[in-house]
Amino acid sequence: MTPPQDAGTAAMAMAPRRYFGHLIDSEEWLGRAMIGPAVVYIVLLVGFPFLLALFYSVSNITVGSAATKFVGLHNFKMIMENPSFWVALKNTFIFTIVSQVIVLVLAKILAMALMKEFRGKWFVRFLILLPWVAPVSLGAIGWLWIFDSIYSIINWTGRALGIFGPEVWPIWLGQPTLAMASIITVHVWRMLPLATVIVLAGLSSIPQDIHDAAQVDGAGFWRRLFQITIPLVLPILMVAMLFGIVFTSTDMVVVYVLTRGGPYDSTHVLASQAFFTGIEGGDLAEGAAIALFLFPILVAVAIGFLTVARRSEVA
Amino acid sequence: MTKKNTPKRTVTRRNVIKRAAAFGLVASVGPFIMPRPAKAAKTLKILQWVHFVPRFDKWFNEKYIKEWGKKNDTEVIVDNISIAQINARGAAEASAKKGHDMFMFNWPPPVYEDLVIDHAEIYQEVAKKWGKPIDLAVKSTYNPKTKKYYGFSDSFVPDPINYRKDLWDSVGMKPDTWDNIRKGGAAIKKKHNIPVGVGLSAEIDTAMAMRTIMYSFGASVQDANSNLVLNSKETREALKFVKALFEEAMTPEVLAWDASSNNRQMLAGKSSLVLNAISVTRTGESQKLPVTDNIWLAKAAKGPVRAIGLEHVMNVYCIWNFAQNIEGAKKFLIDFIDNYKQAFIESEYYNFPCFAKTVPDLKQLVAKDERAKPADKYKVLDDVLDWATNVGFPGYANAAIDETFNTWVVNTMFAKVATGAETIEDALKVADAQCKRIWAKWKEKGKI
Repeated sequence: MTPPQDAGTAAMAMAPRRYFGHLIDSEEWLGRAMIGPAVVYIVLLVGFPFLLALFYSVSNITVGSAATKFVGLHNFKMIMENPSFWVALKNTFIFTIVSQVIVLVLAKILAMALMKEFRGKWFVRFLILLPWVAPVSLGAIGWLWIFDSIYSIINWTGRALGIFGPEVWPIWLGQPTLAMASIITVHVWRMLPLATVIVLAGLSSIPQDIHDAAQVDGAGFWRRLFQITIPLVLPILMVAMLFGIVFTSTDMVVVYVLTRGGPYDSTHVLASQAFFTGIEGGDLAEGAAIALFLFPILVAVAIGFLTVARRSEVA
Repeated sequence: MTKKNTPKRTVTRRNVIKRAAAFGLVASVGPFIMPRPAKAAKTLKILQWVHFVPRFDKWFNEKYIKEWGKKNDTEVIVDNISIAQINARGAAEASAKKGHDMFMFNWPPPVYEDLVIDHAEIYQEVAKKWGKPIDLAVKSTYNPKTKKYYGFSDSFVPDPINYRKDLWDSVGMKPDTWDNIRKGGAAIKKKHNIPVGVGLSAEIDTAMAMRTIMYSFGASVQDANSNLVLNSKETREALKFVKALFEEAMTPEVLAWDASSNNRQMLAGKSSLVLNAISVTRTGESQKLPVTDNIWLAKAAKGPVRAIGLEHVMNVYCIWNFAQNIEGAKKFLIDFIDNYKQAFIESEYYNFPCFAKTVPDLKQLVAKDERAKPADKYKVLDDVLDWATNVGFPGYANAAIDETFNTWVVNTMFAKVATGAETIEDALKVADAQCKRIWAKWKEKGKI
């Protein structure tokens, strides 16, 4: 028999273990512990930099500043006086809207094709996903060579096939319109896989019975597309588009690798201009002001899209 | 035989969490309690670019720093990054106030003046043995307003004209003046369909080339006293000239170039002339490209006012004031200058010394190079100090000059005019307004 004194000691030693065990078994506490790292991650890597950017945008901080002071909305006034800023803002809208429309149309077509059964389907899916899996800088550098002024494979192929005459040699990244078209092309290539997978998931979730019933009722392809398929995948499409818009309008990788904003600042988007002003130029305050300019617009877009998505879900 | 009644090991939530927690604990605490190999008493961390001449990095990283480290009981760690990443990495270290002890920029970095030590002491110590530094080094590391040396320059890279001798001979001209470059370049383009390759993009080579043209036309961004003088008759003349050069002798490909595009164009045999360091010919020699023998070098071309060129790269070491080993970094730089002749040779004459006496036989060395054809190809560089100047000429490379340089204000202005996207007056007005804003900011901060 265990002496009473020993039993008490053992019970005391067991207490923390039981308490820990209780926490592990508790859905409530375990849930909080599991979500904790994500919350910490968001606070540290999204929330804190965001607040820092807000502070920077109303200060006179530079990359080498030892001290800063509050300057109010001076940086916003300065950027609005710069014609390059308005070009970058316009480019951001063009880049985002054009690339998202193309991505949406192509993703829908690809997803519908992938819904059909055919030989080698897995290989096609693998090829489609490849651009998403590959590091973007690697892909963009590959495109850089495709658009290179001397070694462009498009130009050499075009000339070999007789499409380009002896005087025709497009400088893809050296002319503003071609340069913007090149940037949009690469971005579409990059975004298409994820959009396709999302739309594919949406299409797979529609019960086949509904399509069968519509077909029996005599509905053709276009009618089924616009009156059944699209309305049913609309909530997913809205979320995919929201992601695409936010991602595209805040991204600078493709612009940075392909043109660095050139020729003569004609392909800068707000994100690349913020980087060149804040980091390369050293004016962190103005860079932050440029970067934050889109924030209220994107918040409004996000609210709009999520509202539409929720309504279409209820409907 | 009876089956042994052992407790069955099952995967439970409790087990998974316990093991994950134990693994996390070991992973996070382990590195602090594990025995580590014996290390040198001190550490010196250096960040610098990936040199355009691989032989230099091999010598510096694998031989020089190891020998120096052994002599000084210091573990020297060198991290090499691409030149395109220098600004972003510098900004990151400055913001975090952490990183390397010594950071090498490839251009003057006056914007970091408040976060670096005063490097005057290093200059003074080196000067005792090797004499005064060249004016280019002082103009690229000293702020006359605050009387502080914000960096220490060991070397610079000349920026001569690289031209195709066979093509220029075919039109009977030499690229010795800017007017000849325009006329000869146009004639070569007409005859051989090979253009001049002077960049008009957001990159360092364009920035140097446009300033070279401005200075030789008597224009500049600032005067000797750091006053903004961009909006001038001379700048208009330089803009007019670049527009003519672009229209008559070039193609739009220069509008989207990066820093190595002109190297590629020249070595592909698709350019009659570029402004670049000797990386073009050195690459051609090491890859044994037949075109290399026809690529010759020339001194800065003469403009209406003067013949002047820029440094192509200005190597400036900065010791952060938050560095862990400031004294070690100072000693490293002083000792490095003592060994600069070796550095000059290992860089294949790419890095020219800022303390001329460290390579007393420089003229003889560059006059006869065993890899070059002809052997005296690099001889044109022997008086480079007579025609090379700093960014910010005729003044110092100050913070406003640095920001103007790195935001490519001048490059963009020239590109807009050359392509006809904007008139001379409009492009100059926009660039001048941007510069005025930059100057006002740095004046207010007391740096110019």
